[in-house]
Amino acid sequence: MRKIGVLWATVAALGLAGCGHDSPTARVATTNAHGTLVEDPPARLVSLDASAIVAQLNASSTGQQLLALAGPPACGVDVYYLKYWTVAPTAPGSSMPIMDSGALMVPTGSAAQCSGGRPIMLYAHATTVDATYNIADVLDPTQVEGLELAVMYAAQGYIVVAPNFAGYDISTLGYYPFLNAQQNADEMMDALTAARTALLSTFTPSTTDGGELFVTGYSIGGFVAMATDKAMQAAGETVTATAPMSGPYAAEAFGDAIMTGHVNFDAPEFAVLTTTSYQRAYGNVYSATTDVYSPQYAAGIDSLLPSATPLATLIQEGKLPQSALFSSTPPTTGIAAVDALLALPSPPNPVYSAGFGNPFLISNSYRVSYVEDVAADPDGADLSPPASGVPLAASPQNALRQDLKVNDMRSWTPRMPMLLCGGDQDPVVFFGVNTGTMEAYWQAQVSTGLVSVLDVNAAPAAGDPYAGVQEAFRQAAAQTVAQVGAQAALEQYHTAVAPFCMAAARGFFGRFLPP
Amino acid sequence: MNKIAIVALGTGLALVASAAQADNGGPNSVRIGLYYVHFDTAASNISGPFVPSSLGLNIHVDDIETLYLAYVRTLTPHLDAELTVGYPPLTKTEGRGPATLGSIPYNGKVISSARWFAPSLLLEYVFRDPGARLRPYVGVGVNYTKFFARQSTVAGNAASGGPTSISLPVSVGPVATVGLSYHLADRWHLYASYSISRVNTKLTADTAGLLRTSDIHFWPNAVVVAAGYSF
Repeated sequence: MRKIGVLWATVAALGLAGCGHDSPTARVATTNAHGTLVEDPPARLVSLDASAIVAQLNASSTGQQLLALAGPPACGVDVYYLKYWTVAPTAPGSSMPIMDSGALMVPTGSAAQCSGGRPIMLYAHATTVDATYNIADVLDPTQVEGLELAVMYAAQGYIVVAPNFAGYDISTLGYYPFLNAQQNADEMMDALTAARTALLSTFTPSTTDGGELFVTGYSIGGFVAMATDKAMQAAGETVTATAPMSGPYAAEAFGDAIMTGHVNFDAPEFAVLTTTSYQRAYGNVYSATTDVYSPQYAAGIDSLLPSATPLATLIQEGKLPQSALFSSTPPTTGIAAVDALLALPSPPNPVYSAGFGNPFLISNSYRVSYVEDVAADPDGADLSPPASGVPLAASPQNALRQDLKVNDMRSWTPRMPMLLCGGDQDPVVFFGVNTGTMEAYWQAQVSTGLVSVLDVNAAPAAGDPYAGVQEAFRQAAAQTVAQVGAQAALEQYHTAVAPFCMAAARGFFGRFLPP
Repeated sequence: MNKIAIVALGTGLALVASAAQADNGGPNSVRIGLYYVHFDTAASNISGPFVPSSLGLNIHVDDIETLYLAYVRTLTPHLDAELTVGYPPLTKTEGRGPATLGSIPYNGKVISSARWFAPSLLLEYVFRDPGARLRPYVGVGVNYTKFFARQSTVAGNAASGGPTSISLPVSVGPVATVGLSYHLADRWHLYASYSISRVNTKLTADTAGLLRTSDIHFWPNAVVVAAGYSF
């Protein structure tokens, strides 16, 4: 047996002789301080050179349209899966660290604009109720926003940072802090901080932060972009320029418009996201969900969205109405001014009318209480004509209105250039009550040119720097109507505006790049 | 033929050359030779986050040659126990599937490597009389395989998306062999054998927390040519 022992020793020695270290993976952060990059370097999910991008886009008609709008890519794009620590409210007065995710897109290639110091474009995505949403998964055919960013910005030399936000993808928060300016802005800044750390350890570490920072976003992301600009300005951090797009900036005025019968498309989802967000952050929207919702929808609605279950399934299962926010038989109070605000839209409007039906989401009693508050203390933007300076309600008593007022963007004035972009027929986020209200609120900045407003649906004016975008949008919109009909085209309108506003924003940002 | 093979054969020949001075055989023997291992690898497609099943990402393990060492104890005139081991070989894994992932080359690229410490213990039945010059044998036993020095290559890191650690759990499985011994002189023998063993493991690649996996059945087929000395 002793000889066997000798042999084993020999074998062991041979093993040790050939021994080597295993290769390591990324370093994992040991702190959950907000803005910390979790895994350094982050995983690269996709690497496409310029020709591969063209091939990818040419594989579909929508891709071809995007390519035509964005222009040929100058750079390849590496897309990294960013994970970072941020903070989100969990209950009134309390918040917790939460690990969230997003995309870091880095231009690659030999062209001069594809390496070295490059501008950063910080982007907030549009509203989605899909809890699995991941903007870094740019090849996922179910979401086009990531690919749009890659083509429109990263392939033109911008470093793109785009968080998924709390409530989505890997986040365990369980809800999305929808229309919560403070949390949304803080998360944008945390994602930016983490991305700047990650840039040092990508496959192309020579591509660095060039110093220019642009902030943009679409739909709820437009609101987030504006809130981020506001927060960074307050924090003394420089934003080179901002381009909020189609966002619900005038949250109180928009909320009042909806509750008084000007119901937008997708209103049930927005209502659930908003009330859930504010209930979790401020705790004042309801004592029980039946305070706000019709009994048949109240159970479990505070944890319904976002969801990994497709929206169509949730509707099919009776957890949400298709579009009926309010009863098709509006309640009455006997007070003429209030009843007028509760009445069905007159003359009938195909967008607003879709928000009335049976069964419906918001209980009559809650709607009455909200509208009574509107009648007693109206938002200046919703008056006809709007009050001078489009002031907020002086002292709303309804808790939801109070929360909307807290998050309304009529609370600051930008000091750096801003482009507000949208489409004036938008049936999801109304252009007039949001972009129009901000235009009126910032009239002084608009007149000096610090704030620009672009309606992509407007007829191009002579010398308009965005005439090309407007013309392209009008052509595309007409083509869509011809292909799918007016109603279907209207349903697609909000989404259809996005790439055109993105293109306009890129042109706007380009003015501030070094020659 | 690599350096290990040359060393093994050289050592074997030197041992054979000195056979004339050796004593008579005993119940113990040691063997040295060359292992040639061909892997009939069957692996499930790599799966995990951001790896669409439609991509059909798979792997292939290259054949290897390495030093063969064994200790054999004669238990009865027809029964031997063999403890065998190879110098831990470096196996290289190539990507199989699409030519590129995005713009990153994949198919045919060496994406990882690992060394194997893979001893086997066999019980062998040896035919014919102990005095016969040519004796065939068959055997069965158990193989233990531990993988170490697991490395994702530069190409592997590029395909995976960043620095990647690789996990390959220990495998324990059956092994079977058939062989032939030739009594050269006194204490010296020459051996040739073929063996096959079941080595199953689960590859887990960790790239910044993204875990991608593949179940691998290596099915190593080993041909051994060796010289042995009995004492």
